[in-house]
Amino acid sequence: MSSPSQEIINGLDINKLKELLKEAEKNKDFVARITKWTALVRWLGEGFNFKSYIRNHSFLISEPADLGGPDTSPNAVEYVLAALGACYATGFVLNASKRGVKIKNLEIALEGELDNILVFLGLSNEGHPGYKKIKAKLYVDAEADEKTIKEIWEETVRTSPVGHTLTRTVEIVPEIKITE
Amino acid sequence: MKTEKLFPVTVVGSWPRPKWLLDALKLKRKGAISQEEFDSIADEAVLLAIKYQEDAGVEILSDGEQRRDNFYSFVADKIKGIELKTVAEIVDLVPDKTRFEAILRRLDVPSYSIRNPVVVSKLEIGKKGIARDEASFLKSHTNRKTKVPLPGPYLLTRASWVLGISDKYYKSREELGFEIARLIREEILALRNIGVDFVQLDEPVLTEVVYGDQVQQTFMCAALFSRENPRDELEFAVELINEAVKGISGIKLGVHVCRGNWTKKEEVLLKGDYVPLMPFLAETKVNQLVLEFATPRAGDVEVLKDYLGEKEIGFGVVNPRNDIVESPSEIVNRVERILRFVDAKKVYLNPDCGFGTFAEAPVATSKIAFDKLRAMRIASDELRKRYGES
Repeated sequence: MSSPSQEIINGLDINKLKELLKEAEKNKDFVARITKWTALVRWLGEGFNFKSYIRNHSFLISEPADLGGPDTSPNAVEYVLAALGACYATGFVLNASKRGVKIKNLEIALEGELDNILVFLGLSNEGHPGYKKIKAKLYVDAEADEKTIKEIWEETVRTSPVGHTLTRTVEIVPEIKITE
Repeated sequence: MKTEKLFPVTVVGSWPRPKWLLDALKLKRKGAISQEEFDSIADEAVLLAIKYQEDAGVEILSDGEQRRDNFYSFVADKIKGIELKTVAEIVDLVPDKTRFEAILRRLDVPSYSIRNPVVVSKLEIGKKGIARDEASFLKSHTNRKTKVPLPGPYLLTRASWVLGISDKYYKSREELGFEIARLIREEILALRNIGVDFVQLDEPVLTEVVYGDQVQQTFMCAALFSRENPRDELEFAVELINEAVKGISGIKLGVHVCRGNWTKKEEVLLKGDYVPLMPFLAETKVNQLVLEFATPRAGDVEVLKDYLGEKEIGFGVVNPRNDIVESPSEIVNRVERILRFVDAKKVYLNPDCGFGTFAEAPVATSKIAFDKLRAMRIASDELRKRYGES
């Protein structure tokens, strides 16, 4: 139930959303808190089986049978696609809600193509093993005209943290500490 | 039934819907207009579909399936216990999600836009019947013979059985299948009593059983159920069809099979001849097999030679997905190819499939559909000159 002063769009409390945006504008500690993210990935002791712990959540990561895994969960490159899709979806809901646009349905279909998987397998030095192209297609049914919906999508793509992580060069700092 | 003239011209069922009918269909879906309001608008569209068919010279005509959103999911409005659910609502229950996602990608649609009829309680035909209301209106507005297409029992079983929902009411897919066959049988008898001349059971997913591998799969109505052993599936389909038509006389009964009719891009539709299907189709206790042959994807007509037996052939002589209208002489040549091994009395002329199988994605305009039917009429007249009237 929402109180008369509450404005709910797409299940988001717009007043709370506005407060959050204000907080982000003026509170440096808050911004610092939502700037850094962490994850822990642990090998489960056998084969291509891993578990990731993120805050109070956890999920499995494995490989499909074609790649010698148990196929009990998505693999790491698939999680990249899901992360991008989820980031776009989150951004679209945020940006639509800010404009007061109600969304009825939203789905994003992603398809990524690795440049050269043989590099990962140690069978080639040509190209690289990362994605060379990712297609992300938004399907959306929202209460706005086509121009507005396209603007929201463009804004979403332009401001996506995961999208930018993938399209800009990220400085990855690999480190190692051998333990007993 | 009166003796037919040779080479009767008929249709498979659907006719492209006018824009105003599509607008009304959207309003009905949103709940903005009542079923009664929609029906009165659809009545006008059916009259147009009848007029086009009569003017083209069709002898056994349909109502153009104008009231249906497509050839099978309309049953949700007609059979209590079947509800339309979006695929998004049931995707967690789909056993083979990999295949399913590939189908969505291939069709370029989101899961929330596809509505599938799902068995959600015990089934019972509503007071309008599955197609009795359609048939009564059609019969009262044409003096010609009439054909009513019904979704076949295998198609409906395969589309509507969702483990996790349907199994609360029917112990198994088999039990549901026989219940659906019983309801279809009840409907065929009612349609016969109204005076319908021809009931066609649409079983397009039979080709998917044989040809639809993970990449090629294109039938959304078959997507919710994992592929099983094709032989077992085809035997099950034949059993259900024969249960639905068991002991029925006084009406012509047919089975229609095709390889998909949702796009004009022939290259993305299923491909393969009837060789693996014919031994099973031959076992069905129907009078006529309504088969596509105008598209090269359906293979050669020679396959009919060994399996047609006493059955008639509803011979697909024009391709509804191609804007080029076949010439009457081309149609005559196609028919004459099968007359080498099929008795002329057993040959009916029809398009490969409907012209508007899916309301919002018709494969032809009314003009092209009309011109194709007209070409069939001229071809039939020529064939009658060559082989006699009856």
